[in-house]
Order: sequence, then structure tokens, then C-alpha cells
Amino acid sequence: MKSKRIIIFLIFVMLGYSIVIQVKNAEGEYSLVTLRTINDLNESLENEKREISNMKKIIETREAQLIEYQEALEHDGSIRQAIENELKSVKLSAGLKDVEGPGVVVTLNDSERELYDWEDPNDLIIHDGDVLTILNDLKVAGAEAISINGQRLLSDSEIDCSGATITINGITYAQPFIIKAIGNPKTLDAAMKAPNTYAWNLREVYGIVVESEVKEHLTIERYKGNINMRYARQREEN
Amino acid sequence: MLIALIGLTLGIVLGLFLPITYPAEYSLYISVAILAALDSVFGALRANLEDKFNSGVFISGFFGNAILAAFLAYTGDKLGVPLYYAAIFAFGVRLFQNFAYIRRYFFNTGQSE
Repeated sequence: MKSKRIIIFLIFVMLGYSIVIQVKNAEGEYSLVTLRTINDLNESLENEKREISNMKKIIETREAQLIEYQEALEHDGSIRQAIENELKSVKLSAGLKDVEGPGVVVTLNDSERELYDWEDPNDLIIHDGDVLTILNDLKVAGAEAISINGQRLLSDSEIDCSGATITINGITYAQPFIIKAIGNPKTLDAAMKAPNTYAWNLREVYGIVVESEVKEHLTIERYKGNINMRYARQREEN
Repeated sequence: MLIALIGLTLGIVLGLFLPITYPAEYSLYISVAILAALDSVFGALRANLEDKFNSGVFISGFFGNAILAAFLAYTGDKLGVPLYYAAIFAFGVRLFQNFAYIRRYFFNTGQSE
């Protein structure tokens, strides 16, 4: 009987001890979570993982660049060459370099035919919208460099209506509009001549002059003005 | 009764001052085991009042229930089924039942005296 009392005593010691430890342990360490919270947490976890993988990709490309620089350094003894190459390709695609290659010359002019009785005179005039659509068609056909009346088309170049004339890169031009485009001459020419294209429509329906001429050798001058970015800033990458 | 209270107090004091702890992962199992142990204690209290207390039954119930409950919680965790609900439910219900018996016992004796 005595030993059993001792056992009971020990049991209660254990009970009290474990309760206290449990209370101390549980404080702030675990709480009830709803399924929705678990879902949300999982989702944000997935997002973080995606971001991490994106960052890893960026790191990979940067490392490849670094290796390129280092190779250039080993070969030529200077990093200059690699950076100059990069600058060249950037300038080329930005329109800051004269370029040459095969392409087409498209001439746009107002219609020369007589106006029908029911027709709006506006229909026979080449508009800024027409020019824009034709430029877009050329881009779709794979034009790599475009100029209009010698003005190089940049990523922020505007085609603005100014009466009977249009304004490109802030400079106003009258008809005819001569568009030079470098790219695959076949597709570019087709974009101006194939039935049911916008150019074909302008020519056949409204009689507007849309002439496309394939050139084996074409030179497009660079943009000669200044590019001022007043609002766009380079994003800090960190 | 008296040794039980003394033991409980000693255990609480020990728990407050001894720096021994267990990993937080076992928290759930321990809490279910504590519930099972509490159920045994209430059962013992009731048996004691009914003069049917058997220390062998109490001791085996105390450890057996606690271990079984902790084991259930553990298995449930491994299987992905919250089996510890079964332990919480069963012991919770029994706890309240035992408490109800204890109350009735006190009030009945109060009336008979």
C-alpha cells in the first residue's frame, strides 16, 4: 500500500511537471490556423519560389556576361572590346547607327483619280493613320530599320497629323512620304502588294499611291536628334 | 488525496524552476497525453469518492491512456489524418462525465445528510 502511494505521488509530480512544461512550451509557439491561411501562405511561398527562380535566371545571364568579359580580358588584355561590342549592338537596335541592307522603298502619295459624286474628299488623301498602319504592316513583315523621308523611326517616334502634312520626330513633312525599310525584301514587298492588305486596299479602292520597290542595297540614316528622357529612369535593380 | 495535491504542487514547482524542456515538435503529443492523464485523474477522483478506487487501475490507466493518446496523435500525423481528435473527443467527453458524477456525488451527500 505504501509503495502504491509513492507511485501515485510520483504520478502527480509528473502530471504537474508536464503540464507546466507544456504551458511554457506552447506559449506563442503554436496557434490554430485555418485552411485558408494555410492556402494563402502556400501561395505566397510559391510566389517567393518563382521570384527566386527568376532571380537565379538573372544571375545566370549576368554570370554569362561576366565570363564573356573575362574571356575578352584574357584575349585582348582589356574589357574594352566586349563593352564596345555591346555598345555597338545597342546603338544598332536603338537607331543611332546608319544601317544598310536589302529592303523596300515605299512611296505614299494622295490619290490622283477623280472624286466620285458620293465620295468624301478625305478618302483620297493619305492620312497619318494610313502611314501608321503601313508602318505596322512593315514591322509585322519583319522590318528591322525604318525611316520616313529620312527620319529614322525610333521606339518613341510619333506620326502626327498636321493638316495635309505629317510630323515625324518633331519635323513636318509633306507628300510624298517615302518609307525605307530594311528586312526580308520578299515579305516586305508582299506586305505592300498582296491582295487585301491595307496598302492594297488604299491603292485599289481609293487610288492612293502606294508604290513598293525592292532594293538590294538600301541605306537608312541614323537618328540625328537628341533623345531626352524626362520621366523614364532606369529602374534600380535590387 | 493529500499526497496527490502535494505531488501536483511539487511537480508544478519543479516544472517552473527546472530548465528541462522537450522539442516543440512533440508539443501536440504531449498535450494529448496530458489530456489522457487528466481524464485518468478525474476518473480516479470519482472512483475515490465512490470508494471503488484501485491504484492498479489508476496507474495502468494513467500511463496506458497517455501513451495510447500520444501514439494515436503520432500515427495520425504520419498518416495525414488528425487522429488526435479521437483522443481529444473521447477523453474530453469522459472528463466532463466524470466531473458530472463528482458533482452529483457531492450534491447527493449534501441532501442525504
